Amino acid sequence: MLRQSLAIMGREVRYLWRDRGLRHILLLGSLVGILLFWGIYSAQVLKEIPTAVVDLDRTKQSRELVDGIRNAEYLKIVAVPESFQAMEEMIKKGRAVVGVVIQEDYGKKVSLHRQVRVLMVVDGSNIIYATNASTAILTVTRTIGARAGIAALLARGVPLSQAEDAYRGVDIEEEPWFNPTLNYAYFLVLALALNIWQQCCTLTACMNVIGETGLDSWRQIRAAGVSKLQLFLSKSLVHIIVFMITVLPVYLLAFQVFKLPLRCGFPALLLFTLVFAVAVHSIGTLMSSFARSAVDSSRFGMLVALPSFVLSGYTWPVEAMPRWLHPVVKAFPHTWFFQGINCFAFKNAGWGMMTQYMLIMAAIAACCYALAALFISRS
Amino acid sequence: MGETEQGPKEAPVQPLLRVASLQQRIGRRAVLRNVSFEVFPGECFGIFGLAGSGKTALIHILAGVDRFTSGSVEILGHDIGKTEKFKQYTGLVTQKRSLFQDLTAGENLDFIAALKNAGREAIPPLVERLALEDYLKTPVSRLEAGVYQRLSLACALLNEPRLLLADELITGFDLNSRRLILDELAGYLERGGACVWSFSSMEFAGLMSRVGWLENGEITVYSPQAAGEKWNELERSSSPLSGEAHA
Repeated sequence: MLRQSLAIMGREVRYLWRDRGLRHILLLGSLVGILLFWGIYSAQVLKEIPTAVVDLDRTKQSRELVDGIRNAEYLKIVAVPESFQAMEEMIKKGRAVVGVVIQEDYGKKVSLHRQVRVLMVVDGSNIIYATNASTAILTVTRTIGARAGIAALLARGVPLSQAEDAYRGVDIEEEPWFNPTLNYAYFLVLALALNIWQQCCTLTACMNVIGETGLDSWRQIRAAGVSKLQLFLSKSLVHIIVFMITVLPVYLLAFQVFKLPLRCGFPALLLFTLVFAVAVHSIGTLMSSFARSAVDSSRFGMLVALPSFVLSGYTWPVEAMPRWLHPVVKAFPHTWFFQGINCFAFKNAGWGMMTQYMLIMAAIAACCYALAALFISRS
Repeated sequence: MGETEQGPKEAPVQPLLRVASLQQRIGRRAVLRNVSFEVFPGECFGIFGLAGSGKTALIHILAGVDRFTSGSVEILGHDIGKTEKFKQYTGLVTQKRSLFQDLTAGENLDFIAALKNAGREAIPPLVERLALEDYLKTPVSRLEAGVYQRLSLACALLNEPRLLLADELITGFDLNSRRLILDELAGYLERGGACVWSFSSMEFAGLMSRVGWLENGEITVYSPQAAGEKWNELERSSSPLSGEAHA
């Protein structure tokens, strides 16, 4: 029995290694992913957001405003168009993301301490750019608005300290925890690389059953009298070990080289990942147990693996999804894994929560394997 | 007492394979209907039939690869519908290439030996007798038909089976491979093994002990000579020149 299992495992390793496409996907897919995503998000925060300023006033006051914008941390003035239409055209063509229009009477109204309007437009077609641009603009407008207000109070004879206090009535302190600089790389790089990894694992697991039963060599296995349980247990063990081996360099790069935060400890993270690897394998095995061909099995696997990351609530909170979708989302192990990665790697949310997440993923795996066993026994 | 006077009675030879009222349906189509026959040690039982007659379905059922609808099949007393123990006594050569395409010839021998729980010591004599030494490192996908079939036979014999099930054991490949396979089969039968060999060319009927003629899912057992005569008769009657010949 042991000899049979070892032979099946040895053959599976050979199979995975000799299938050049599969080998490259498994070994390089997630590694290339993490390098690529690190490259993409290496800037960590969006700086130098291209800004176009239309100064229709051209007074000392309006130039001061333009200087304020120029000195803003995340904005970069790339053009000073002559008209609103010219600015609109620049935003349409993607040359500017933020547009500022200073009206003709800006200087006059500021001098008279009257309310004055400055139009700031943001290109909302790219939501990430738009959110960052809005935050950057808000910082500038808050400062300029406060400065103008203090100046107005001073003009009315209010002492400087009182005027400043009036604008600091409620001092709200913002303090982002776990990712103080709101670093995109912290948030996205590891999750996106793990998303590629889980897709590669699903693809591999999708070959587990149909990869044998769909081939003529299945007859040799049947004729030899090897039990299906022994065969698929041996193969599955190899798959899960390979999945864990392929995630190690991703973690090594993420935590050792790119210095992404890891607060829950490496062994705990590995254990958490192992349970997810088993769950992903169970999904692939299930797909491969009822698929009519290897190609169909891969298609079914991708139907789960591709949307699962979006559904996981990592990039868009589950709470904001329609209520009817919640049970579907929670039936995916991906939801627990990606939420868990956030909670444990970033925040070290504790063993209690991690155990709960792992039990849920293990339960999902048990269901998928049980269903797969049912399909296999009927085949 | 009577026994002492008459000498010990010889025990009747038990069949290695007993097939009774075997039925196989695939969807609405009856592939095998009420098939019954027995195969004894040292016997080479041929199953003759044209394409689509159900030969492969029958061989796969006997090898425990496919299930059957009703009837009973016993191999060495084991009911193959209830247990898989009989598989340690059987070997299978399939019509389609069924060795592991991702492995070399040598790796196939090793792997199948392990699957069958056969000792590795069974490999070298088979490799020698079937002249496979030069091909052990060749991927099976690159083997010529004759060599491939020699390897298939070697794999099937690794566990020294009592019953060899061969589906179209010899087709149109080289004469050397054909000779090596027939020599190996003759030795295997001499050692007490039995063989069920499906074939579709009547030239092999002379190598069989008996021939089960499979037609429309039903089997009729003939002697090799009777099967040959029936075939000749059929050939004559279906020949476009038969009318002229009789006239």
